Amino acid sequence: MERKWRKISGLIGLLLLNFMNNVSSLSLTITKVECVYEIVRFEGDIVSGNFVVVDHHIFWSSDHPGIDFSITSPGGDILHNLKGTSGDKFSFKAPRSGLYQFCFHNPLSTPETIALYIHIGHIPNEHNLAKNEHVDPINVKIAELREALEAVTTEQKYLKARDAVHRRTNESTKKRVIGYTVGEYILLTIASVLQVVYIRRLFSKSVGYNRI
Amino acid sequence: MILRSVIMVVVVVVVGILSSASQALRFELQSGHTKCISEDIKSNSMTVGKYHVVNPNEAYPLPDSLKFAVRVTSPQGNSLHTAEKVETGQFAFTAAEDGDYMACFWAEDHSPQIIMTVDFDWRSGVQAMDWSNVAKKGQVDVMELELKKLYDTVTSIHEEMFYLREREEEMQALNQATTSKMFWLSFLSLFLCLSVAGIQFWHLKTFFEKKKLI
Repeated sequence: MERKWRKISGLIGLLLLNFMNNVSSLSLTITKVECVYEIVRFEGDIVSGNFVVVDHHIFWSSDHPGIDFSITSPGGDILHNLKGTSGDKFSFKAPRSGLYQFCFHNPLSTPETIALYIHIGHIPNEHNLAKNEHVDPINVKIAELREALEAVTTEQKYLKARDAVHRRTNESTKKRVIGYTVGEYILLTIASVLQVVYIRRLFSKSVGYNRI
Repeated sequence: MILRSVIMVVVVVVVGILSSASQALRFELQSGHTKCISEDIKSNSMTVGKYHVVNPNEAYPLPDSLKFAVRVTSPQGNSLHTAEKVETGQFAFTAAEDGDYMACFWAEDHSPQIIMTVDFDWRSGVQAMDWSNVAKKGQVDVMELELKKLYDTVTSIHEEMFYLREREEEMQALNQATTSKMFWLSFLSLFLCLSVAGIQFWHLKTFFEKKKLI
């Protein structure tokens, strides 16, 4: 797992997500700004998703400001704006079809890794079909059922990502506990040995010198 | 510039933690750079991947310079699929073990830097089944197909819940181990402190007695 996060250097290209399927899950590494694009085919589709900051830098220093996240509609308005977070869920109804932009901004220069999941759900209704076509109500119900299941899947991905982050925290805590304790023992022993050596040296010349 | 082309700019994209994740994404590949996408695939699940270069001009045929090399590796490091100087291709395999499978793309250096858009469709698990074949075989109608898909989705959700439960158990065991370690280590450090103090005291006492200062 570690080798993935280490191979980061320099610029990071933009990933244009093609909306061929309506789910996309990926994790990006951001040094400054990173944007991900999704094409929403129909107006009124529900776009839902979540992201979790996976990298360990964010909990090493407790004064890390967090990552900024924003969603921009094709018209240019900002639909969602979060500052200084370490993970969140989002869900909105697309006001129009087009290219939606999901942008992350990293205020510090250390690269952060983010696990992102976006799902675009479409339920067929009368508006999207040609005039002589007709929507079978059972298809609508099936689509609603599918969307409900996708909501569960979205939630599971979020839980899985958070579980991975917590696991990393706990494993690093265990390593640090042992590391610091052993280091403490060694330091204590060295300090006491140095103390004894110094005291011996103080008294090694004969007392007549009156050095103390 | 050479340094930059030598340093592999690897954008590691981990796609999907769920085995039935699917994605079709487009990313930009600069000449001389590498981009990698990795996906966490469960063992014994089918995986299908298709990649092709997106033609920047629809009217003209694809220029020769838009070619790249691709390599798919297993978590162990074995190469499962390689291709050099191609503009399109596909691969399919059944995952032998759990882990992160990585697909890396790199474009050779070109004197005016070319940025090509690569379209990559990687499906595993539920989405890897070719649904059109299933439909033809069983002569099922579309609704039954949809319901079948829903059933598979529910099964994968169920499996995922088992996985999450297992992970939670492991985490609880880990935390218990850490707590008990801290408990014993604090006793050990107390013991160590007292013994070090005792040794110091005894040593200095014998030293001063030897020096006839006491």
